[in-house]
Amino acid sequence: MPEIFIDGKRYEFEEGEDRGLLQFILDNGKEVPFFCYHPSMSAPANCRQCYVKVGTPVKNRETGEYELDENGEREIRWFPKMQTSCTTQMQDGMVVHTQETSEEVARAQKDTMELILINHPLDCPICDQAGECPLQIQTYKYGPEGSRFEVKKQHKPKRIQLGPRVTLDAERCINCTRCVRFTDEISESHQLTIVARGDKNYPMAAPGREFDDPYSMNTVDICPVGALTSTDFRFKARVWEMNQTPSIDITNGKGTNIDLWTRDNLVMRITPRFNGEVNDHWMPDAGRDAYQRFNENRLSRPAIKLDGDNQSKTSWNNAIETFAETLESHGPEDVLVVGSPHASVEENYALMKVFNLWGVNNFKFAPHIEEGTGDGFLITDDQAPNTSGVKLLGYEESNDLASEVKNTKIVIMLSDELIDRGVLSKDDLKGKFSILLSTNECDTAKTADLVIPVTCIAEHAASYVNVEGRIQRSFPAKETKYTNRSLDLEMNQGRLDRFGTNFDNWVTEENKVDCAPAWEIMNQLANRMGLDVSFGRGREIMEEIAGSNPAFENVSYERMDNEMGINLNPSNKQEATA
Amino acid sequence: MASDWKSFEPVLIPDIPNLDKIDNYIKNGGYKALEKVVKENGWTPEKVVNEVKEANIRGRGGAGFNAGLKWSFMPKPDGGPRYLACNGDESEPGTFKDRKIFEYNPHLFIEGALIAAYAMQITTIYVYIRGEYYSWIKMMEKALQDARDKGFIGKNLFGTDFSVEFEVTGGAGAYICGEETSMLESLEGKRGYPRVKPPFPAQKGLWGRPTTINNIETLANVPGVINNGANWFKNIGAENHPGPVLYGISGHVNRPGVYELPSGVPVMDLINEVAQGVRGGKKLKALIPGGSSTPVLRADQLDGVSMDADSLREAGSMMGTAGMMVMDEDTDMVDVLWRISHFYHHESCGQCTPCREGTGWLEKILLKIKNGEGEIRDLDLLLDLTTQMEGRTICALADAAAWPVRHTINRFRDEFEARCKKSVHAVA
Repeated sequence: MPEIFIDGKRYEFEEGEDRGLLQFILDNGKEVPFFCYHPSMSAPANCRQCYVKVGTPVKNRETGEYELDENGEREIRWFPKMQTSCTTQMQDGMVVHTQETSEEVARAQKDTMELILINHPLDCPICDQAGECPLQIQTYKYGPEGSRFEVKKQHKPKRIQLGPRVTLDAERCINCTRCVRFTDEISESHQLTIVARGDKNYPMAAPGREFDDPYSMNTVDICPVGALTSTDFRFKARVWEMNQTPSIDITNGKGTNIDLWTRDNLVMRITPRFNGEVNDHWMPDAGRDAYQRFNENRLSRPAIKLDGDNQSKTSWNNAIETFAETLESHGPEDVLVVGSPHASVEENYALMKVFNLWGVNNFKFAPHIEEGTGDGFLITDDQAPNTSGVKLLGYEESNDLASEVKNTKIVIMLSDELIDRGVLSKDDLKGKFSILLSTNECDTAKTADLVIPVTCIAEHAASYVNVEGRIQRSFPAKETKYTNRSLDLEMNQGRLDRFGTNFDNWVTEENKVDCAPAWEIMNQLANRMGLDVSFGRGREIMEEIAGSNPAFENVSYERMDNEMGINLNPSNKQEATA
Repeated sequence: MASDWKSFEPVLIPDIPNLDKIDNYIKNGGYKALEKVVKENGWTPEKVVNEVKEANIRGRGGAGFNAGLKWSFMPKPDGGPRYLACNGDESEPGTFKDRKIFEYNPHLFIEGALIAAYAMQITTIYVYIRGEYYSWIKMMEKALQDARDKGFIGKNLFGTDFSVEFEVTGGAGAYICGEETSMLESLEGKRGYPRVKPPFPAQKGLWGRPTTINNIETLANVPGVINNGANWFKNIGAENHPGPVLYGISGHVNRPGVYELPSGVPVMDLINEVAQGVRGGKKLKALIPGGSSTPVLRADQLDGVSMDADSLREAGSMMGTAGMMVMDEDTDMVDVLWRISHFYHHESCGQCTPCREGTGWLEKILLKIKNGEGEIRDLDLLLDLTTQMEGRTICALADAAAWPVRHTINRFRDEFEARCKKSVHAVA
C-alpha cells in the first residue's frame, strides 16, 4: 500500500486515491488552515492558505530503488515552491511538512492571513458569523499578532439584498468563491458570479436577477466569513448563546439531517448537518423556514367544543375523560384512526397499539404527495417526513379519506392538517366526533371537537422513515411547559440554558408550550380505560417496535446514533445481518 | 553578431508595401511554406515539430520557452478536437509589437499558425486579440476571410485530408486574459481567472481538450524556419535566443517605435542608434528592458548588455517581450514605480489572496511615499511584501507586480529614501 509521511509520521493510503492531500490530512485528525476548499466542491486553490512543504523521494533510474543520503535516509527532492495541499495529489513516498514542523510553512500561512485581513472590516463584535467563523478561528490559531496595514481599507457595498433570503456584506468577503461554486456545481442554478476585479471584487447575481435559488441559504453556511448572511436570522442571536440539537427536516420526505439552534426554548434557526448518505452538507431553504412552526402558533393546553362551534381551553384531566367517555359511548367499530405521515413512527405506533387493543381495526392515513414539486436533489414530491414509516406500521393508505370518514362516528386524527391540505372538508366531519392530536393551530384544529396538543419534533425524541426507507431520529431541543423527565433524559447534556429551568440564563415561561408526547397521552387514555399499556420513552417504544415488527428488526436509537440512520430496505438489511 | 544588426533584412515586417493584401503576400512567396508541409510527403507533422524545435524559437510572449518543444508536449491525436490558441492579448505596459504583425503582415502569422496546426494535428485555431485593438481585430477578420477565400483555411487544404478552422476572438479589456490559462477561460466565455496547473493546457486546455498556446510573434517566425531551415534561423542573432525580434522602444527617445532586428543587439545601440538617442540630449537614467514586469536597470548596469535572455539575466533583468522603456535623467522613479504598481493593482483578477490584497497594499504605500508621507520603514515593508507575494499565487501576475517593486527600490533606494519623511525621533 502506498505510504506518505506527514510531519514525520507514516500514513498509508489506497492506490488511486482521489482525495487531495488536504482532505487526507483532515481525515487523519490533523489540521491545516484553509478557506476556499470544500470537500463537496472543486478546489480552486485561490485562498492560498493551506500551504505545505512537499517533497518526493529520489529513485535510482536503473534499479528503481530509493536513493539514500549519507545517513541512510531517503533522499528527498523538495518541490521548488510550497504547494497548496488542497490541489496536491498524493504520491507514494511523499514527504509533507505542515505548519507544525516547518517554520517556512507557518510563516507562509501567517503571510497569507495578514493579507486576507488587511481589507477585512474586522467587525466581529457586530458580525453574525463571529463564534463560528473560520476566519476568526484560524486567525487566532495561525494569524499574525497584529497588522502592518496603516493605509486606507478598500470599501465595498454593504447590506446588498442578493435575493429573498440572503444578504451580502461585500466588505467581509474574502473571495473564496465557495458560493459561486455552490450555484455552479451543487444547486446548478448558476446564479452567482464574482464581479469587478482585484481587491474590489465580490459575488453578485446578474443585473436585474435575484439570487432566489431554492438552496440559496447553503451559501450562508459555507461562507467562511460573515459576508453572506441569512436575511431572516441576521442580528437575531449570537452563536454562543444557542444550543445545537441534531434533528431531521420535516418539510419533505428526504429526511435531510439538520441542527436546531435554540435559545430560551425558542428555535432560532435551522442549519444542515452532514450526512453523506442523505443530504451531504446541504438542505433546501424551505426546510429552514420550518423553525417558526416550532415556536409560533402552537396548540397549548387541550381544547374542547362545548356548544356550537366555539372551542374553549380545558384541563388535561377533562380532555382525557372526554376522550374516554366518547369512546365508551360508542363501539370500536365506530372508530376511524387516521395516522399521519407528518408524525413520528413512535406516535403512530402508540395510537395504533392502544386502539387496536380496544378493538379498533380501521387504521388509515392520507399520503401528502404533491406531484412535480420534487427536484431529484433534496426536495421530494412527498411533503411529509414519515410516509414510509406509517406504511410499515400497517396504516392503510387512503386516497379518499372523505368516504372512509362517512362510515364512522368517531374520527381520531394525529398531527395532520387534513382540512388545510384539502383531504377532508369541514362538512365531512359534521355529525362526527372528531379528535385531533396535533402541534399547530390550523383549520383542522378549529374544526375538531377535541384538540389535544402533542409535542413536535423539536420537543421529543422520535424517529422518521424517509422516502428511501432510511430511519433517523430527533432529539428534544426545547422544553415543554411542565418539566417532563422522560423527555429531558434524551436532551443534550451540558446545555448552556440548563434545560430552561428557573436557574437559567434565559427563562421566558411563555416560550414553553403546554403539550405532551402522544404516547404519554395514550398512556393516560389506556389507564383510564383499563387497558394494559404503558409506553416508556421513545427509545423504549422503538425497542418494542423492533421486537414486534419485522420491518424494524434490529433498529435501535443506539444504532441510529452510531450509523447516522439505518436503511430499512430489505436488501440493505440482508447485508447488515450477513 | 552584435554589430552586424545594421545589415539585417527584416523578415517579420519586411519593407514591402501592402503586404497585408493577400495577393501581394502570395506574390512575395507567401503560403509556400504551408503548401510545402501540407502537400509534400516528406514533411510529416513530427518533422515540422522537430524542425521548429531545432530552430529554438523561444516564445516571444515573455517566458522564452522553446516553441517546438512546447508543441511536442501535445498528446497523440485521439480523434477528438485539439486547439491552438494564439495569444494576441499583448497588454503588458511597454509592449506593442504584435499589432504591427496584425497590421502589416497578418498572413505571415496566419501561415505560421496553420503550419503549427498541421504539426500538432490541430482542428481549430483561435486568435485572441485584446479588446482595445478593435481596428486590428477587424484587420485580422478581413485577413482570415481572404485566406479562407483562397482555400488556405477550411476543409481539405490543397486537396489533402488536412482540415482546419480559424476564428478571431476579442478580449474585453483585462490584462489577466493574456495569461495563457486565463485566456482559455475567456475563450470559453467565462470570467478570466487563471487555472491551476497541472493539468497543463497540453493535457486539458480549451473545453478540456489538448491545447497549445503561442504568442503571435512566435508563430510569425515559423514560415521562415520552414522555408529556410532551422539553421538559417539559428544563425540570426544571439546563440541561445536566436531569430529576429520585434523591439518595441518607447519612452524618452527621439524615435520610439517597433524595430525588427536580430536578437542580441546591444542595448545602447538600440537606444542611441536605432531609436536615435535620448530625447533632448539628456542623460539616460534607467531602462525597463522587456515590459513593465521586468526588473529595471540603471544606466550604469547597461554596459555591454545585449537584448537576449542570457545577457539580460546576467545584468539582473529579463528579456520579457522586448518592450523597452527608456527613461531619462529627469524621471522620478518613485512616480514610475507607483504607476506600475497602480497598473498591477488595477489588473489583478482577485482570485488569489496574496495578489488581490498585496497589489493594492503595494500601491497604497507607494502613493504615500510619492506624496512625501512615507517613512523609511515603509520601504522595508514593501520589500517584505514582495516576498509574501512572489511565487505564492496561481499565475505569475503577483510575481510581475512584486519584481518591479523589489528591484526599483533596491536599485534606486537613495531616491526613495529621499522622499520619505525624516525621523522625528532624535537618535540617543
